[in-house]
Amino acid sequence: MLLKLNEVTSYYGKTPILKDVDLDVPKGSCVCVLGRNGVGKTTLVRTIMGLVDRMTGTISLAGEDLTDRRTDERAKQGIGYIPQGRQILGKFTVRENILLGGFARKSGGGDIPERCLELFPYLRENLGRRAGLLSGGQQQQLAIARALAVEPQILLLDEPTEGIQPNIVAEIGETLRMLNKDLGITMILTEQHIKVARKLGDLFVMMDNGRVVEQGPISELTDDVVHRHMTV
Amino acid sequence: MLDITFASSINALILGLSIASIFLVAALGLTIIYGTAGVINMAHGEFIMLGAYASFTMQNYLGVPFFLCIPLSFLVVAVIGLIIERSLIQYLYNRPLDTLLATWGVSLVLMQGVRLIFGSDPKYIQMPSFMSTNIAIGDVSISLFRVFVFAVAIALIGAVWWLFYRTDFGIKVRAVTQNKEMAASFGINSSRVYTMTFALGAGLAGIAGSLFGVLNIVLPTMGMGYVVEAFLMVVTGGGSLLGTIIASGVTGEAQSIFAFIFNDTFARFLVFILIVIFLRFRPQGLISAGGVRR
Repeated sequence: MLLKLNEVTSYYGKTPILKDVDLDVPKGSCVCVLGRNGVGKTTLVRTIMGLVDRMTGTISLAGEDLTDRRTDERAKQGIGYIPQGRQILGKFTVRENILLGGFARKSGGGDIPERCLELFPYLRENLGRRAGLLSGGQQQQLAIARALAVEPQILLLDEPTEGIQPNIVAEIGETLRMLNKDLGITMILTEQHIKVARKLGDLFVMMDNGRVVEQGPISELTDDVVHRHMTV
Repeated sequence: MLDITFASSINALILGLSIASIFLVAALGLTIIYGTAGVINMAHGEFIMLGAYASFTMQNYLGVPFFLCIPLSFLVVAVIGLIIERSLIQYLYNRPLDTLLATWGVSLVLMQGVRLIFGSDPKYIQMPSFMSTNIAIGDVSISLFRVFVFAVAIALIGAVWWLFYRTDFGIKVRAVTQNKEMAASFGINSSRVYTMTFALGAGLAGIAGSLFGVLNIVLPTMGMGYVVEAFLMVVTGGGSLLGTIIASGVTGEAQSIFAFIFNDTFARFLVFILIVIFLRFRPQGLISAGGVRR
């Protein structure tokens, strides 16, 4: 297993949001985390990244225990993060945003890996542009390029298609499929779009009220499972 | 009757630039610390004072030439700033009131510490003899040392701009300022960034002290005189580098022009009143340091 969570409970303040979560992520796989709004999908990703107030249980990446590591140290272990709402730095140029990702590399960064620009020609042509001026889809491309600059072992994607035009959703879905299937980058993807999850996922994890309630191969993500846990 | 001639007006403007450069040199370190870490450093004036004493000590006891005292004072005060940040300030981020009180306490300790070591009598930093001459710009005569201070202010702006906008360190500092959580998610240790920034700000205050020790006498209390103006520049500027530069320029010129029309005391009073009125209508200052501190 590349990533392993063992009985993880995490808190904002004194309130537990994630409860006794066990998760195994095989190398090269794409695990889709599903569930209604507010069930703990984002908290799961933030817990892996070390962005919650407190947690119990253990997290390991490639056999390395991350539990007591700070967020910046986890990033340097090869975790690329694409947060909900993208959170690109709007006052930075496109170039500076991608350079930011490089600081998590073992080499310390200072340059932009060619792969980041090969995938997104628009970014190559607009390296000097202020990132805050990009459209939602372009900002998502930038968020992916920034995470790829980490040269990650695993990518954490928190609702990457949220707030994106439908025609761009397909484009981003195709890019993610290529990163996972062709380049072999392991992914954890939280999603509301079942179509995207079925297209990209190898495994699914269904969450409810902070707990993992069902998991298995994506082929077992039947309409019945979806209706049971995702319809309001 | 006020006699306004072209030469006297130019004289006032040039003197204004000189005042502005002093304001700017005093405020630069404070701007960096406040703009990046949000720390209101009440000990900034004492960092300036330490820079002056560092230069005095190196010049008088070690025979170090004045021009070398300036960068060395930067290093000495930067190291002191680094030690203070690591031993105290790092535990107080996101607690502005505690930081305010703690840095005020530090200022008292530094002031009394220097008084114990050097006594309360004034000290003097000697500038190189050629700097004591005046130069004429048209009908205006100005001391060469004030021109030097102006040149140092310009050089410091250039150096800080280069550091913040042309280096990896600058990207890290600006990333932490804009979004600390995202910066950490991409491998940036914000604690280390704050430490380095605090040391940099303290070091810049050290340079200011080295220069101000020549302009005025060196006393344990000398920092108090500069810190008020430094804070005014930072608050009026909004905590950003550009804001502080503009605030220093406008305030320096305004003070010089008012002093020319009225007198020096009334000019200061008028400038303070105008700043208070300005902040009443624009409390965020000229150009906000911005960023979302998380």
